[in-house]
Amino acid sequence: MTAALSMSGISKAFPGVRALDNVDFDCLPGEVHAICGENGAGKSTLMKILGGSYRPDAGTIQLAGTTVHFTHPRQAAEAGISIIHQELSLLPHRTVAENIFMGREIARRGLLDKAAMRRKAAQLLGRIGAEIDPQALVSSLSIAMQQLVEIAKALLLDARIIVMDEPTAALDERGSRTLLTLVQNLRREGVSIVYISHRMPEVMAIADRITILKDGKKVWTRPRDAAPVGEIVRAMVGRDLDDFYPAPPSSPPGAALLAVQDGTNAAVQDVAFTVRAGEIVGVAGLEDSGKGALAQALVGDAPFSSGTITLRGKPVTLRAPRQATAAGIGYLPGDRKREGLALHQSVRDNALLTLRSMAGLLARPQGGAFASNVIDGKLREMDVRAADFGQEIGTLSGGNQQKAIIVRWLAQASDILVFVEPTRGIDIAAKAAIYETMRSFADSGRGIVVVSSDMPELIGVADRILVMHRGRISGELPRGASEEDIMHLALGLADQPHREVHA
Amino acid sequence: MTTVPLPSSRRAAGIALNAGLVIFVVLYAAIALLQPNYLEPGLFMNFLRRAAPLLILACGQLYVILTGGFDLSMGAVATLVVLAASILINGDPDATWAVIGTLYVMGIAVGLVNGLVVAFLKVPSIITTLGTMLLVNGLALAWSGGAARGDLPDNFRNLGRLVWRGVPVIGTLPLAVVVIAGFVALAWWGLNGTVYGKRALAVGDNPRAAELAGTPVAVTRILAFVVSAVSAVTAGILLGGFSGVSVNAGEGLELQAIAACVIGGAQLLGGRGSIWSAVFGALSLFALFTLLNILGLPQALRDSIQGLILIAAVGASMWRSRKRN
Repeated sequence: MTAALSMSGISKAFPGVRALDNVDFDCLPGEVHAICGENGAGKSTLMKILGGSYRPDAGTIQLAGTTVHFTHPRQAAEAGISIIHQELSLLPHRTVAENIFMGREIARRGLLDKAAMRRKAAQLLGRIGAEIDPQALVSSLSIAMQQLVEIAKALLLDARIIVMDEPTAALDERGSRTLLTLVQNLRREGVSIVYISHRMPEVMAIADRITILKDGKKVWTRPRDAAPVGEIVRAMVGRDLDDFYPAPPSSPPGAALLAVQDGTNAAVQDVAFTVRAGEIVGVAGLEDSGKGALAQALVGDAPFSSGTITLRGKPVTLRAPRQATAAGIGYLPGDRKREGLALHQSVRDNALLTLRSMAGLLARPQGGAFASNVIDGKLREMDVRAADFGQEIGTLSGGNQQKAIIVRWLAQASDILVFVEPTRGIDIAAKAAIYETMRSFADSGRGIVVVSSDMPELIGVADRILVMHRGRISGELPRGASEEDIMHLALGLADQPHREVHA
Repeated sequence: MTTVPLPSSRRAAGIALNAGLVIFVVLYAAIALLQPNYLEPGLFMNFLRRAAPLLILACGQLYVILTGGFDLSMGAVATLVVLAASILINGDPDATWAVIGTLYVMGIAVGLVNGLVVAFLKVPSIITTLGTMLLVNGLALAWSGGAARGDLPDNFRNLGRLVWRGVPVIGTLPLAVVVIAGFVALAWWGLNGTVYGKRALAVGDNPRAAELAGTPVAVTRILAFVVSAVSAVTAGILLGGFSGVSVNAGEGLELQAIAACVIGGAQLLGGRGSIWSAVFGALSLFALFTLLNILGLPQALRDSIQGLILIAAVGASMWRSRKRN
């Protein structure tokens, strides 16, 4: 049988990153082919190349044996490739029918034939078993329903290949089941489905074949029966720990600094954990697991709607970042440029921002602890490298920027630091320095919560790791846990035996 | 790891400062070339006196611009001040000081409304203050019945037009120039003598980062609008002093104040600028108006040229910042 889709030798480099390296991938008619990999493994890049958003540096794409070159997403769509993204692309204030026919309206004598579009829309929706009124506004539908509308739209174009990128990420149990049934139906009609998901139970339930990507390379492609979950997980993460992590603390942690009970909001549920003096607590989880939301709740950015937080035994309310700052909680956001820095202000002013924000309004901006020589000393101690601390922080490298934000919170003498992706996109030397700082901060009797997608980082630096899955803490691992252990909990496989992992 | 030495922000601010000052010096030299008596201290003092309202408005506007906003309502507040003063005082010199106090209360109220709406309802400041501009203008006209009425006593008008003569060295000293000096000193102190200035710059540069760093973003924004409104009241009092009562006393001043800040090197949408941007920008703009007057250009062209200057100044600052990145 000729493959419906065959991508061979695909390579793609971005400045500084080799996103894809000689990747082969194919999909037969009526096959569900799952792609698994960690964040940044190259899944999205591969699909963007298939969808015509990116052009590959090397490699060829064949559709049913014919070589194609896409220079625009529209060409891919016309060739029968439809990509359903995590973020839906529907217009909320238009009807279902209008959305399905967007850009391909049926016209009669120059006028829109709304009746025909409604009929055809109803027919398409019927084909996928979706009971949706074509005249309903998209905004009135649940996310699951909207996803079905997206799929109906794909069928209108007579898509032969449908790519689903984490389609169930935003769905609840029932929505997920509906979607999976639909995938089975489409397969029976001969549509090829490329299914990208972190959720192992789904992948095991519907995939015919599974391909693992890691660091831009294909690890293997196997039929489902030859790919037990343990093998998949190991292939996704298998790599060595680097040895630039600081030594673990010599003394056991002290009294509880921060305790969260029943923390719940829209993104997390019933979160409970403690951070002790001297401890670095890691938080792991996949992109939609709620780990970022947990950090936001701790710093008052997206507070818990119920539950209690106690600091040194005293209950506190953290409804705004300023309250958290006053309570002694500092925040290193995951998106340095958008959430961490005032890029056009000086290194010094960025490092002093919190101190100046918490001082009395009439305090002198250069007085006492705000004096240039005092903050310069702290910046030098942290080894922030700049020709002049008066220069704009936007001109510094990512590592130096990150260090300057850390200085901001060290200067504020916070008790607890919440770090999100502390070393994302920064070089090895700065990474090691940041880990070292984290360790010595904790060793001085304070605590750190570090949220990260970088598992080796968590394993290397954290004393304990909380793993989140679908908004809940699915497990806690002591120091010395393996990536496989974390991945199991992150994928929600806690109840399944994972003996084969250690086999 | 290498760090590329790039122009420091201090040097960037220095360039901006010099730009405003240089433009002013060039324009004033051109004026002096056509009318040499502008070099006499007396005429220079008079020039400052007439530039006083714009200069004070620019200082207030700068606070809002630094935090990333605009205040379009300041011209309307100045008009309200002129009309309200003449109605409330109605020629009674004893009422002057109490009424001035009332005027500041009214101005601060407008500033608070602007600030609260921007900070808490998250309405873009350009829309918010456009609304308060229409609102305040309408109220002022309705109250006065659409025409100037009442009367301003001398002790009120003196704030704008009193000139002391026989002052050593400079010869004459208008009271308005003393007011400028005091106001600029206060505005400078607010930005450089307290932590407020650094907070405002951070909020204008990146409000999200500032909030997460613990900066009281809402308070910082609200204060900026209050300072802006206070400057509008002050400017209105001076305007009433030397131009007398009219229903369009403050018309268009808000845009002139914005243009002044930008000419002086403040960056629209926040994060960059100093009090000297406002001062020298305002002086440059006023010198330009004076020059156009001397050249005998029709009054209407003044507005067009102001528009051109505004676009050119913003364009230049965008171009500079793009080149830097």
